[in-house]
Amino acid sequence: MAARSLWNGTIAFGAVSVPVRLHTAVDSSTVHFHEVHLKDGARIRHRRFCSKEDREVPKEEVVRGYEVRQDEYVVVDKEDVDAAAGERTHIIDVEHFVDAEQIDPVFYDRAYFLGAGKGGGDAFRLLREAMARRGRAAIGRFTFHNREYLAVIRPYEDVLVVHTMRFADELLHGGELEVPEAGRKPDEREVEMAGRLVESLHEDFDPAAHHDEYRDLIMQAIQAKANGSDLPVEQRDEGDRSDDLLAALQASMKGS
Amino acid sequence: MPRALWNGSLSFGLVNVPVALHSAVRDLDVHFHQLHAKDGARIEMRRFCSEEDREVDLDEIGSGYDLDGTQVVLTDDELESLSPARTRTIEIASFVDLADIDPLLFDHPYWLVPTGESQGPLRAYRLLVEVMGGTERVALGRFVLRTKEHLVAVRVRDGLLALTTMRFADEVRDTDGIDAGGRKPPKEQLDQAVALVDALTVDWDPSAYEDRYRKRLQAIVRKKQQGQTIKAPAQGEQPSPTTDLMAALRKTLDELGGRGGRGPSEGGAGDADGGQELDRLSRDELYQRAREADVPGRSSMSKDELVGALTRGR
Repeated sequence: MAARSLWNGTIAFGAVSVPVRLHTAVDSSTVHFHEVHLKDGARIRHRRFCSKEDREVPKEEVVRGYEVRQDEYVVVDKEDVDAAAGERTHIIDVEHFVDAEQIDPVFYDRAYFLGAGKGGGDAFRLLREAMARRGRAAIGRFTFHNREYLAVIRPYEDVLVVHTMRFADELLHGGELEVPEAGRKPDEREVEMAGRLVESLHEDFDPAAHHDEYRDLIMQAIQAKANGSDLPVEQRDEGDRSDDLLAALQASMKGS
Repeated sequence: MPRALWNGSLSFGLVNVPVALHSAVRDLDVHFHQLHAKDGARIEMRRFCSEEDREVDLDEIGSGYDLDGTQVVLTDDELESLSPARTRTIEIASFVDLADIDPLLFDHPYWLVPTGESQGPLRAYRLLVEVMGGTERVALGRFVLRTKEHLVAVRVRDGLLALTTMRFADEVRDTDGIDAGGRKPPKEQLDQAVALVDALTVDWDPSAYEDRYRKRLQAIVRKKQQGQTIKAPAQGEQPSPTTDLMAALRKTLDELGGRGGRGPSEGGAGDADGGQELDRLSRDELYQRAREADVPGRSSMSKDELVGALTRGR
C-alpha cells in the first residue's frame, strides 16, 4: 500500500529534476496524556487572558509580537512571517554533495523519507544509486511548513531520507561549558582496567534489541489503575557510590 | 552557563559519576509572543476546569489517558514513582561502533558535565573520556527524561562526554509503502550521474551555511519596527520531471566544465563480476561481512549496495 505523503516537490540538481514525495519516517512512542482536574476528572481547557485587564480575550483580539526591548513589541502578522519562507517553495535545490561520513550526527535534526514522485521513477532511482555508489549525501535547501531548512538527502534502504539540519551557530561547543577539573589524572592501571571493561562490553549494534520499556511500564500502570489494583513500582539496583575507582573497576570486571 | 535540564548519575559497571545534562543546541529562533491587540499586553494562558468553569492550579491537575473509552487518571507522584532508577541513572549497558548506528536513529544532542566536589567521580569521568576518546566506540545506555525513555549514545567530543538521545527502532517506520523508483539505470547513465555527483562534491563544512530563514525574519521585524510594509515574494514555478536523463546529465556536466568539485576520490564504477555468490546471502549476512571489512556507510546500505561494496573491496 502506498504511504500518504506530507509534501510533494522536486529535487533539482543541475539540469536534472527529480519529482519526489515526502513521507513520515518516525513515530514517537511517547504515551500522550491530556490534562485532567483531579477532583472531578473533567478536562482542563486553556484560556487566553489579557495580563493587563485580567479578562478573557477571544482569539480574534490576539496578535503576534516580537519583543525588541523589555515590554516593547513589534506586531508582526502571518503574511510577514510567511514572507521569510522564501520563494521556491516546492524545490529542494541541491547545492553540492559531501561524503556522508563527514557529517557529525549532532547536525541531524528531523528525518523524513523521500520516495519517487509522479513521472520521475527513473530519475529518482538514478540519483539514489549515484549517491549510494559514492557514499555521498546531497546538501540543499527547501521550504517545508513555511520555513526554509538546510537539508541533507542520503540513500536509506531502497529510498532516500531527508534530514533537516541544525546550523553550526546553534550548536554549543564543549569549551563553552564550565567543567570542574579533576585533581589527579587517572593512572595507568585505571586506564588499562577501564579499557578492558569497555572491550568486554563491546557488542554489535542491533537496533531491534532495544525497546521502550518505560512505555510498557506506563501502560501497565494505566491498566492497573483502571482495574483498581496497585501500581507497579520497579525496583532496580542503583549500585554503590564508591570513591575507590580501581576497586569499583575490578568489581565490575568480575561481574561482567 | 544555563541551568541543567536534568541531574543524575552515569553508571558504568559499579562506577557511578554524578552528571548534569545540558542541551547542546542553543535556541536562536526568532520567537513571538501573543499580545492583546487593544493594549499590547501579553496574553497569559490559564487553566480552567471545563466542568466547574473556574481556574485550577497546576497541583490540582493529573494526566488523563483514554483507555478504550474509559478515562484513567494518573497523578504526577504516581508517574514519578514508577521507576526511580530509570529516572535518576543513565545506565551504560554496552559499547558499540559509531559507524553501525544509522544517523536516522539520532535525535537530540546534549552535553554531560560532571558535578560535585568529590575527586573519585571526577576522575571516573576523565577516565571514560580517556578510554573512549581514542576509539570509535560509543557507549549505549538508557534513561527516562520527562516521562519518555530514551536509548542514548554517549561518546567523546571536545574532550567531554556528549550524549545523544536516540529513537527506538520500532519508532522508525519501514519503507515498504514508499515508491523506490523505476528501472535500474543503464551503466552509461549511472556513470554520467556518478561523474556529476563527483563534480559537485566538496568537503563538509557546517560553518558554510547560515540560517537564511532566521536572517530574513529578523530583517522583516526590523522593517516592521520602522513602519515599512512587507511584500511576500511570488511563488516559484514547479519544474517538470526530466524525461531525457542522459541529455540533462550531459548538459549539466558541460556547464560545470572545469569548475568541478573535489573530484572522484575512489576508483571503480559498476558492479564487477564476483558478486554472484554474495547475491545469495541475506542482508543481515551481507551486513555482517561489511562490518568485518569495515565498509564505510554500511548501516544505511541496501542489499544490492552491500554486494557492490563488498565486491569492490576484494
